[in-house]
Parts: sequence; structure tokens; C-alpha cells
Amino acid sequence: MNTELANRLRWRLWLDIGLQAWYSLGDRRFRTLLSVCGIAIGIAAVTLIDVVTHGGRQVVFSELQTFGLRSVWISRDRQLVNPHKQQRTGTGIDNADYEAVRNSSCCTAFMRMSPMVLGVPGASNVARVGRRYSQVQLEGVNEDYIAINNDHVVKGRAFTSVDIQRARPVVIIGAKIREELFGPAVDPIGRELILDNRTFEVVGVLDKKDRSLLASIGSGQDANGRVLMPYTRVQAMLNSDQIDVLQAQVKEGVSAAAAAQSAANFLRSRHRDAYPYRVDTMEQYVRTANNILDGVAVIGLIAASVSLFVAGLGILNIMSTAVLERTREIGVRKAMGGSESDILLQFLFEAGFISLFGGVLGLLLGGISSVVIARAANFPLDPGMLFNGVSLLVAVGVGLAAGLYPAYRAAHLRPVEALRYE
Amino acid sequence: MIRLTEACKRYRNGATDIEILRSVSVEIGAGEFVAIMGPSGSGKSTLMNVLGCLDTLDTGAYELEGKRVDRMDALSLARLRNRKFGFVFQLFNLIPRLDALRNVELPMLYGGVPSAERRLRAAAALERVGLGERCHHVPSRLSGGQQQRVAIARAVANDPDIIIADEPTGSLDSRSSDEIMKLFADLHRQGKTILMVTHENDVAAHAQRIIRLRDGRIGEAA
Repeated sequence: MNTELANRLRWRLWLDIGLQAWYSLGDRRFRTLLSVCGIAIGIAAVTLIDVVTHGGRQVVFSELQTFGLRSVWISRDRQLVNPHKQQRTGTGIDNADYEAVRNSSCCTAFMRMSPMVLGVPGASNVARVGRRYSQVQLEGVNEDYIAINNDHVVKGRAFTSVDIQRARPVVIIGAKIREELFGPAVDPIGRELILDNRTFEVVGVLDKKDRSLLASIGSGQDANGRVLMPYTRVQAMLNSDQIDVLQAQVKEGVSAAAAAQSAANFLRSRHRDAYPYRVDTMEQYVRTANNILDGVAVIGLIAASVSLFVAGLGILNIMSTAVLERTREIGVRKAMGGSESDILLQFLFEAGFISLFGGVLGLLLGGISSVVIARAANFPLDPGMLFNGVSLLVAVGVGLAAGLYPAYRAAHLRPVEALRYE
Repeated sequence: MIRLTEACKRYRNGATDIEILRSVSVEIGAGEFVAIMGPSGSGKSTLMNVLGCLDTLDTGAYELEGKRVDRMDALSLARLRNRKFGFVFQLFNLIPRLDALRNVELPMLYGGVPSAERRLRAAAALERVGLGERCHHVPSRLSGGQQQRVAIARAVANDPDIIIADEPTGSLDSRSSDEIMKLFADLHRQGKTILMVTHENDVAAHAQRIIRLRDGRIGEAA
């Protein structure tokens, strides 16, 4: 017999033995179904965790993006207090510092930079138009701010350098402020609002930003409640040259932490160590978020693996029972010429079928529940993740591993003893 | 065709060894119809299982067509059972969830016969035992006599030289027994070698030769 013919015979025998396994499963439908469900639940859990962590990651990153992923913030560190030194007043950054950072060789890694002068202490933070009022968050910024923060002006215009230089009384308002002060029907561009008893002209409206997730965990201000004003104008209102925070955007491919730190060092030496500075980078927030999400994914996968392991025990149980119950049958098959590998193969096929169906059913269950959850929690769903070939392989692997021992026992039964079994 | 020399077989039962076969020597020619008789515990089933390659010897030699069976590995024995032997058991031993046709196909399946040919040959074998119309009945829907006829169809389906039957009429009423014995007589006429364990004299009367076993030894041959 040539090898090709032998191979074809072998292949056909596999098919036949697979069919024998199939008939056997049909005979124990209920128990088979239970085992199938065990695997299905495990695989559904894997799929679900995969989809949820992936979707969650996208949600978190789309919100983090609203701060500008390459942003850094430099400010005076007010938590670090040296008891032997007298506390200096001030923010530690003034206009001269800002100009110096701008022109210094220390900070060439910054692509854009904007001073931030936050709020007007003592003044009301309520803006008014006619009889409509809105609580605002006033930020004095320059013309780079909008680009740094991934903001978009949907109506009107952004600040120009002339606005900044001349400290013009103009504002760009967030979506919520526009809604509350003007309503949806009125075009706010060119209109006036009253803030701290002074009049400002609205020149632009910012696009809506979604930070609902971050807001729900108590971080991130309401981005839609901002009123942007030239920082020079805010300083004039305060009669000060102080800057609360320097926000910058680092160039691509540059370490944000290093760039921000070198700016902070530059400021410290300029002030002869009078102030400690803190630097915050989006990079570090992204890393933290990543770590948290990875942790969630790992915990989820561990839980799913446990359920898959238990499902594997279920298959081990059903297959061991099957070998016991069908000892005589195994004897008959051996008497008919079934070899050890034929018997082994049949039982492996049975275990493999159970886990394959469990896997497919699990993908189906996982897919449906993922769609439902994605709809309910409103996060993006990548359809490619719903059919996860790897988890199908894992399912079949679990089934085969669990079936191996019972199948081995069946294969090595001695025919005469198997036939005699009552 | 079959030559068994000084065959010994022991079973361990607790602390004591029980000698089931004590130096049994048998020769059986091709085409013979041999009945093996003896009281229960005499070792006749064990002898049968050894001859059918279902059991192995402790000592002694078993030659089948000049080849030493007692030195073969598990795979060769499985091939040998598949090609040379057909088995008929007292309790029929059909596989419950498979219909008659699929039961009969089984030895051919392990023999690697393609499925289309297998179906034809299985159907023909069932036809020959008078069950052509019951191909798709599962064993539980067949009477004892019918089940044993399916078992005989299965035993001959792969065209073996030797039929091993262990009390084939032991679970049947006398009418069914007669039908079954008629089938064995037909098979013998067709040239099959038949080895049959029985304790019924009228069944043994169909055989050309009777081997009597007592306490694991061969007694007088008739």
C-alpha cells in the first residue's frame, strides 16, 4: 500500500471515528448540553471581558484626549512646604518667567505653550446675559491654548495674538455656557456677557467635550463650563502679573516628563530655589489609566480562566463517567478491531465536540451580551473582537486536555476485561 | 490453522492465584466447526478469549497460520481481530445507540473500508440473516433472536476466516436458537472456521468436534 493511499485511509477513518463520537453524544443529550454550557459560559466571559476592557479603554482614552495627550502642566507645588523657610506668596511664575521659558534653550521640546490664569478670586464666577445666569470657570489663556487642549471653535473665531497683546475684553465660551446664557436659537457671536460687573464680547464657541466618565469618578472639571479670556485681560482684572499654571504641548517623540522637568528646573534656578514646582504630564495619567485598565483586564481574565477550568472539570467528569458506563462498548469496539488509537481518538473527539460547541455557543452568548452592554453603557464596539478565534482554540484545548485522561483510560482497557464488565 | 501449545493462564484472586488454563494444547484446522464444552469455571470462556486474541497467555505458544500471536503487540492484535475474527457474544453486545446497519458496519469501519462500500456490504449481510427490512432499527427495538442475527451479520461483515461464538444461544428461546444455529451451519458450509462455547448438548451436536474442558485441562474429545 503506498503512503498516499494509507493517508487517505487514515483521514477517512478519522472522519468515521468522529461520526461515532457524534452518535455517542446524541445519546446523552442532557449531560452533553450541561458540559457545553459550562464551556460556553467560560468563553462568553472571556469574550465579554475582552470587549468591555477594549471598549472601556477607548472610552477612557477618548476622554483623556480632551486634555491633549501631549500636554504638560507646570505649577507651584503647594503641598511641599519647608518649615524652616518662610512661605513666599505668589504662584512662582510671572510674565517674565513665561517669556524667559519661551526664549530659553531649556524648553525647545515645547511645541506650544500657554499661561493659565485661573479664575478671579473674590469676584463672582457667575456670568450674566440679560436675566440668564450661568456658573462659569474662567481661564485666562493665550492663542495656543485651544490647539494644546484639542479644542475646536465651532462658531466664531479663536483668539489672535492681537487679542492677547492688547488684553481685549473678549471671551470664547463653552457649549454649556452658550446653552445656558443664550439658548440654542440665538447666535451668541458678537453679543455681550457680564462677568464681575464688566462687559465682554463673545467671539467664539467651543465644541462640546465629553468627560462624563472622568466626571463620574470625580475628576476633570466640566470642560463645557469654561469661559476663555486673554490671560492678559484676566491679569489686568486682578492687577497682577502672576500665572497659575504653564501648560505646554511637547513635540512628538519627546519625553513629556523630561521636557516639563527641565522647564521646572529652569524656573527653580531663576527664582534661586524660592519655590518648589510640580509637573504633571498627560503621559503619566495615560500610563496610570493603562495600568488600571490592564489590572481590570487581568482580574477579569483570571475570573474567566477559573470558569473555564471548572468547565474543564465538568468535561473530565462527563468523560470519565462515559468511559465507565461504556466499558462494554469499548470492549466490543476492541473486539471488532478498534485499536488503542481508534478508541483514544473517539473519546477525544467527543470531548473536542463538547468544547467546540461550547466555544461557539460561548462566542454567540458573549457577542450578544457584549452588544447589549455596549449599547447600555454607550461605548464603541469593535465587531472584530466578537469573533475571537483564540478563545475558540482555548475552548477546544480545555476540552481536549480534560478528555485526555478518560480517553487514555478507555484506550488502554484490556478487551477481555472490558467485555466482562457489568 | 490454529495451534495452541502448553497454554497457561492464571488469575490473581486476592491472595491466591487461580489457574484457569493448565497446559492446554489444541489444534484446529481451517473450516472446522468445534464446540467447547465444560462446566462453569472450567476455563472454556478463557480459552475462547485467548483463541480470539482478546486475552493473552501467561506461558505457552499460540500460532495462527504459522505466526506467533503471543508475541504480538496491541496494535497487531487489534488488526488481527479485525481481519481474521468475527465475534458473537451471549449478550449480543450491540452498541445501543447505533442502528442495525451501523452496528454491522463497525468491523469494516475499523478495517478502513470506504463508507459507501461498507453500507452495501452491511445491508447485504443483514439481508442474508433475514433482517433486510430492519436495517434502521436500534437494538432495543429488536427481539433477542433478531439482535443475535444482527450480531452474526456483524461478525461476518468483514469476511473473517474464524467465527468465535461465546454461548450464542444462551439468552435465546429454543425457536430463536434453532434459527441462529441454522445460520452457523450455513457459515460452516461456506467454509468458515467456527469455534463455539456452549453448555447445551443439542447445540454442540452441530459441531464436528467437541473439546471438553474440566478444571483448566482438556478432557476426552468426542
